[in-house]
Amino acid sequence: MLRLEGVTKSFGDKRAVDQVSLVVPTGQLVGVIGRSGAGKSTLLRMINRLGDPSHGRILFGDTDITALKGRALRQWRARCAMIFQQFNLAGRLDVLNNVMMGRLSRVGTTRALLKLWSEDDRAIALSALDQFDMAGLAAQRADTLSGGQQQRVAIARAMVQEPDIILADEPIASLDPRNTKIVMDSLLRINKHFGITVVCNLHSLDTARAYCDRLVGMAQGKVVFDGAPQTLTDDIARDLYGLDAGEVMDTAGTALPLPVQEGRPSLAVA
Amino acid sequence: MIRQTDVDRAGLKERYPETFRTPVLAHAVYLTIVTAGAGLVVYALWRFGFSPAKFLDGLGKLGTVLTLMVPPDPGSQLWKYVAALGETLSIAFLGTLGAAILALPASMLAAKNVVANRFVHFASRRFLDSIRGIDTLIWALIWINVVGLGPFAGILAIMTSDFGSFGKLFSEAIEASDRKPVDGVTSAGGSDLHGFRFGVLPQVLPILLSQVLYYFESNTRSATIIGIVGAGGIGLYLANEIAQAEWQSVAFLILMILATVAAIDWISAKIRFAVIGRRGVVA
Amino acid sequence: MLGLVLVLVFSVLSAWIGEVDPAKFWNGLPRFVSYFHDILPQLRLASLGADLEEWFWNLDGWLGLLFDTLLVAYVGTLFGAIAAFVLCFLASANLTRSATLRFASRRLLEFCRTVPEIVFALMFVYAFGFGAMPGVLAIAIHTAGALGKQFSEVVENVDMHPVDGLTATGATYVETIRFGVVPQILSNFMSYSLLRFEINVRGATVLGFVGAGGIGKELISSIRQFYYADVSAILLIIIATVFLIDWLTERLRHRLLSLDGAEQ
Repeated sequence: MLRLEGVTKSFGDKRAVDQVSLVVPTGQLVGVIGRSGAGKSTLLRMINRLGDPSHGRILFGDTDITALKGRALRQWRARCAMIFQQFNLAGRLDVLNNVMMGRLSRVGTTRALLKLWSEDDRAIALSALDQFDMAGLAAQRADTLSGGQQQRVAIARAMVQEPDIILADEPIASLDPRNTKIVMDSLLRINKHFGITVVCNLHSLDTARAYCDRLVGMAQGKVVFDGAPQTLTDDIARDLYGLDAGEVMDTAGTALPLPVQEGRPSLAVA
Repeated sequence: MIRQTDVDRAGLKERYPETFRTPVLAHAVYLTIVTAGAGLVVYALWRFGFSPAKFLDGLGKLGTVLTLMVPPDPGSQLWKYVAALGETLSIAFLGTLGAAILALPASMLAAKNVVANRFVHFASRRFLDSIRGIDTLIWALIWINVVGLGPFAGILAIMTSDFGSFGKLFSEAIEASDRKPVDGVTSAGGSDLHGFRFGVLPQVLPILLSQVLYYFESNTRSATIIGIVGAGGIGLYLANEIAQAEWQSVAFLILMILATVAAIDWISAKIRFAVIGRRGVVA
Repeated sequence: MLGLVLVLVFSVLSAWIGEVDPAKFWNGLPRFVSYFHDILPQLRLASLGADLEEWFWNLDGWLGLLFDTLLVAYVGTLFGAIAAFVLCFLASANLTRSATLRFASRRLLEFCRTVPEIVFALMFVYAFGFGAMPGVLAIAIHTAGALGKQFSEVVENVDMHPVDGLTATGATYVETIRFGVVPQILSNFMSYSLLRFEINVRGATVLGFVGAGGIGKELISSIRQFYYADVSAILLIIIATVFLIDWLTERLRHRLLSLDGAEQ
């Protein structure tokens, strides 16, 4: 269970995240929605501790995430995989090595620095890639791939971390509709099949409604809505998005999820 | 999630054998290069008679020297030092300026788009390279034979060695210039010289100026040491004080040099900024 | 216009301080020309082989010393580049959050590159005795300063997305740099180091002037003792070596740039 208690992040006078308190039970797929600049990204980065909160605490189970340092902090980050809008791959490394980055916390430093990956780790990385039909591209440099392919590599990297929670920061904002669907479907699959908590920042309201168990709306750093997708009325949405409302609620071309069934063959790891 | 037990290793290995193969050849090449590089270092150290005991001994001495340097103190020589520093700056300034003025015509000879003759181009390039290949200190020694000890030899030395560098840099800048303005001038009835003066020069002048300023900075450093061989400036005092183990004076001189170089860098960065805006120097 | 006046004023002032004496120059100029005439030996077509042999009578000895000079430059550049590699990350604003650490490493680099290497060489000769080791150390320290600055400028311009991505997986600082930064900068670093090696070869030829090893000692003594033919012979082999090194490093750098991005 992830628990945020009065989390605040200030940059100078401005409060990017303002007194956010949330409880996310294990296994939930939470969509964080709101306009750009509402503090969604800052919030997610603080959970991974890419940024430190100015005030408040973040707890995972009984662990105070905000107090972690050094090795314990790195172990937390390994348990808390992150997916980014710009994929954040090492463009000049090949795809396999990029996925291997998710195994770093389990590989000895010397072996890692020399890229001496064990056969087991190679197999794990390949199997993750294989689920996205990307195993054949293992030897390609990451920056030669399309955006959609890069995001799939990034998700494979997150999967081999064997995380307890996945944070996705606008994972589909740079993608076309087809890749949007692939990425959202795989997040949903990870969530439903393995029961891993997913917290996902989304700009598009319709995607959020279609995929998430619960929506958290943010505006000017504060949580202004928290509830099931069906309780988010158009009026509230208009308040959340203001003038952008028309754009994010355009239903045309929005990806709809696959019906999820436990144990479907295509969901299982090969 | 992907757990070790779930992974069908054999199947993956069969389908993607290349991913499991260790790139033996690449590793071997890499290892050979590293071993050769490290081997050469070991050989060099052996050749130079390196011994850890001697090295540690030297470090100990160096430590003593450092403690003897505090506090830096010019003794009674402060004004001599200041005068010598002035001499150093003069050497750098006149040397750079003279080299720039002399190098401009020479660089035209070495620029393909000004002098089309391949032989002239090749010969002038190699000539400039030869001058550049000889260090400023060597030039200083040669000029001392001609004009005697003193700062004048230093000025000439910096002028000579920078003549080679500027000649090369200027000719590259001229070659990179845009052809069209020249055509404009010559088509209006101007001579080739007019074409250069009004077509090329306005384009390249800011670049040349920034290069000259950059070399002025680096020449300030060179001019501090040129006195070591007797060609004027603060280097003479520096060499003497080190030879006589006057470490407080040495420390003071080094601080003076650091302060001067920092001041010159700052001023020249300001001028460069004013001349060409925030653009990198083509070094 | 003001600029031109300033340049003129400074020129006159500098000429006065710098004891510029056109008469001395003018009287000396024939000597400069005749100096080059003097240092060139007489080569007769009839006895060309013997003349050349006499000119380069000590070729083996000189080549040995020149080899020392090259080794000084090589080892000095390598050690300096390694030090610069370690320090450049500490001096980069995007990878080192501690302002104190950054400030300290930047000042250290600045000190190393501002003090001329021959000054370091003079002091090291005092501490370690005559020989090539002081030369190696002097070049290494100066190189660390010069390359450290260039390296950190490269590092400050890297794409930070991979760094974030790696940090978020729980990678250590060293692993983040190894996989997030090094692949982006390696070819640039190699190219700068090769350029610096070129510069250091030139610099190492004069370190012998102060007793820090290599060909310089032989050169300064033949200049000072007016062994004319030796001066020209040594200068010629220095120039030839510098040409060769320049040519080789330039080819290597072109190879590197065309390979740009080949990871390792």
